[in-house]
Amino acid sequence: MNNDSKRGYKLEVWVTAICFAIVAVTGGFFSSVVVIMNEVFFHQVPTPENLVAAYGETMFVFKEHLSVWGFPLHYFLLVVLSWFGATLVGAIWCLVMDRLEEKQRA
Amino acid sequence: MEPRGEVFVLGLILSIVVLLISVMISVWARRFTRSLGDYYVAGRSIGALNNGLAMVSLALSLTTFIGLTALIIEGLYVAVAVYASFTAAFIGLMVLAAPYLRRHKSFTTMAFISERYDSKTLRYISVIVMMIVSVLYLAGNLKGIGIVFFFLLGVPEIVGIVVGGLVVTLYVTLGGMYGVTYNQTFQTIVLLFCLMFPVAIVMRTLGASGWVFPPLGYGDMVPQMTEAVPHYFWAMVAHPVVYIAIFLGSFIGIIGLPHFVMRYFTVRDAKEARWSTVICVFLVGLVNTTVYATGFAAVYYMQAEGVDIPSAAYDYVVFILVEALAGDGWLALAVAGSVAAGLSTVSGLLMIMGAGLIHDLYGAIKPEVDDETKLKLSYGAMFLVGVAVILFSLDPPEFILEAIMWSFGIAAAGLGVPIVMGIWWKRTNKYGVGAGMVVGTLIAFVSWIMIGYMGMDPVDIPFPFFAKYFYGPLGWIKVIAVAVPISFILTIVVSWLTPPPPENLQRQVDEMHGWSDVDPKRYNGKGLPIVIIVLSVFIMWFMTTLYDQFPK
Repeated sequence: MNNDSKRGYKLEVWVTAICFAIVAVTGGFFSSVVVIMNEVFFHQVPTPENLVAAYGETMFVFKEHLSVWGFPLHYFLLVVLSWFGATLVGAIWCLVMDRLEEKQRA
Repeated sequence: MEPRGEVFVLGLILSIVVLLISVMISVWARRFTRSLGDYYVAGRSIGALNNGLAMVSLALSLTTFIGLTALIIEGLYVAVAVYASFTAAFIGLMVLAAPYLRRHKSFTTMAFISERYDSKTLRYISVIVMMIVSVLYLAGNLKGIGIVFFFLLGVPEIVGIVVGGLVVTLYVTLGGMYGVTYNQTFQTIVLLFCLMFPVAIVMRTLGASGWVFPPLGYGDMVPQMTEAVPHYFWAMVAHPVVYIAIFLGSFIGIIGLPHFVMRYFTVRDAKEARWSTVICVFLVGLVNTTVYATGFAAVYYMQAEGVDIPSAAYDYVVFILVEALAGDGWLALAVAGSVAAGLSTVSGLLMIMGAGLIHDLYGAIKPEVDDETKLKLSYGAMFLVGVAVILFSLDPPEFILEAIMWSFGIAAAGLGVPIVMGIWWKRTNKYGVGAGMVVGTLIAFVSWIMIGYMGMDPVDIPFPFFAKYFYGPLGWIKVIAVAVPISFILTIVVSWLTPPPPENLQRQVDEMHGWSDVDPKRYNGKGLPIVIIVLSVFIMWFMTTLYDQFPK
């Protein structure tokens, strides 16, 4: 493996790994993170009396200042990152691979 | 929802127009089919835009219309997370598999696995897995077309299944992959219009200020929603492993679903394969986010207007909303769109089943048969598969979206793992893949039989032995967080313990990645398999934690 092809190989592997990791987090693991770090996104407050039977003594309310266009931040991020975010990451990966392919042909 | 007492003439006319155009496209496309390669992979001549649009309609099956909204009403945030993962999974499919599969020059997933690992046995096993996955995926869709005919058009369900099934069988048989591709492109355009416009009108009637763009146009309705349904946006109702299982099922499952993968064998080259996925993920995201808005609107409508829609009618809630808030004209559009959605997915599945049976199974048993004979047999096989599926669809699983989610899990463990490892790790051999495929498929399939088919409570199933952790909302989905990691672990460990594959098979990996030279060090390190094993063990361990913190 000469230096050029070594560099190309490393570029392919690392760019793919990074792009996959980003999409895996934004489109996949993100909600797990929200569950584990729920205090970042939600307040825990006493449940109104009429809802205690359904929700118990305390319940979650999303933090008002963490909302975008009216949506709770975590929901907005889930929807937008799994769509625009994934499309953008995919396009960047395509551009890098297009260049790599040209070099491989050369 | 009660079936309509009379025939909904406008909806019926639009649906018939969709059916007729589908057949006409196939008759027109037939002129391009001259060889087996034309019939199965459209002569590898499809461009990025055309393939991207075709993939959209393949992805947006009838469940988009009649399943996802129901799932959102019941599962709220968790249901949105399922489809968000499914949307992003296309990029996973692209970076891990799509262009590499295209360079391999196979016709199908089963042929790829057989040729990459040089094993006829693996070819037979993968055909069996493909049939299980495809039948689960397909039956619900065809049944869905029957339901649409019955509830909305006043036509008996059996007529819908038979007419819809025959039309799709006819155009797949006639037009082959050319017909399927052009039809799917047409159906995507129909589907986009027929979903976006009626939903926009519904959102406007409900008072959403951003109704012109439904995917992100309902933010101002959030306060009323959280007042009426405080847990609408709660991610915390499910164990974190549920989301990891959803991720594994979506990202690895989509790589394992043969009808998606087959689309990549039809494009001109690897570059077209890549860009078609970017087009696809953008449009799939557009439609899915519109359906999240529909689910939101449905819950909002029920709460704000005090309308009681029985849970048995949740599957039709899109149509209920459109009829109540937009009117019959928009409803006719939505009905035609749903028929198009059902047809496109069914056609892709019929194509892969026919190809699997003739090219991969019959072709392997009788390798001396020439391509011309195979082509003739393909026409007959495709027709027979279509008829068999119509018969099966008369009594399919009840909840069609759940059946499809199971098929993702089985595909991930049975076919996705061997494809990913075959592309990215040269050391993977047929023994490892055989062990991973068989055990992974069995875990997922046997669990489906017990939970999905026999209706057992997930926590009570005897296999796998730690099923007590399959509790909570969508608890059964954690099966995927067992089947896929075990499939990965077995594939890697058994490959490591057995002799490496011969050089000619390892060379395929370099070729798939576009290298003209061969280097034994490329794609042959220890880093990737070690990382995968560590993550796999971690996921299974994680499932057994936090036992007391989530609803049982």
